[in-house]
Amino acid sequence: MNQRIIYPEDNGGVAVIIPAAECGLTIEEIAAKDVPAGKPFKIIDAADIPTDRTFRNAWEYSE
Amino acid sequence: MTTLISGTAGVTFPAGGVGNPAGAVVGTTDTQTLTNKTLTSPTLTTPNIDSAQIPTVSGTAPLYMARVWVNFNGTGTVAIRASGNVTSITDNGTGDYTVNFTTAMTDANYSPVATIKPTASASSTNGKVVNIRYDTNLATSSCRLWCNSTGGAEDMDVVAVSVFR
Repeated sequence: MNQRIIYPEDNGGVAVIIPAAECGLTIEEIAAKDVPAGKPFKIIDAADIPTDRTFRNAWEYSE
Repeated sequence: MTTLISGTAGVTFPAGGVGNPAGAVVGTTDTQTLTNKTLTSPTLTTPNIDSAQIPTVSGTAPLYMARVWVNFNGTGTVAIRASGNVTSITDNGTGDYTVNFTTAMTDANYSPVATIKPTASASSTNGKVVNIRYDTNLATSSCRLWCNSTGGAEDMDVVAVSVFR
């Protein structure tokens, strides 16, 4: 599953949800289950997530 | 068809008659194969379970199998290598991951067990720990873990988590 779900965290950062390929749910079903209630989220390509995590805690969610 | 009642041989049902079904009656021989049978609350006495699933069972201590397990890469392109009863992991930040369960636990009194492998480029291979994140509680549908070292939160090359309840 080469997609990720992102949503803003309360501290201003961004959380990235990595789906389990073998769970049997669609990416939309995983978002409905694992994104905290009331949080906006976006489904994006995994390739759009930076691989350099040096400043991981400075990542931000943009609408 | 005649049902015979004898004072010495007991009751004999005629072949094919009611009460004398074809084949052995369930539970009357040692090597029966049960197919599509529903056993309600069975008591299994020293069952011989597929050796590929339980290679060694010794003693009488009860077995408690993992309810959740996952092995994932916590650095670079964070990704799940393999898992069971996991819908996803959440990358919350450096060394900060949540494991999201497919089927929730009955309560939050379960026991998460985790191990980690630091990255090859880690400044030190000593003093790495993984723990339940200090400001969160276990939830029935997820647990949030925090990997860190003396230098603070740190991404890990391997994070492996199991949950027992």
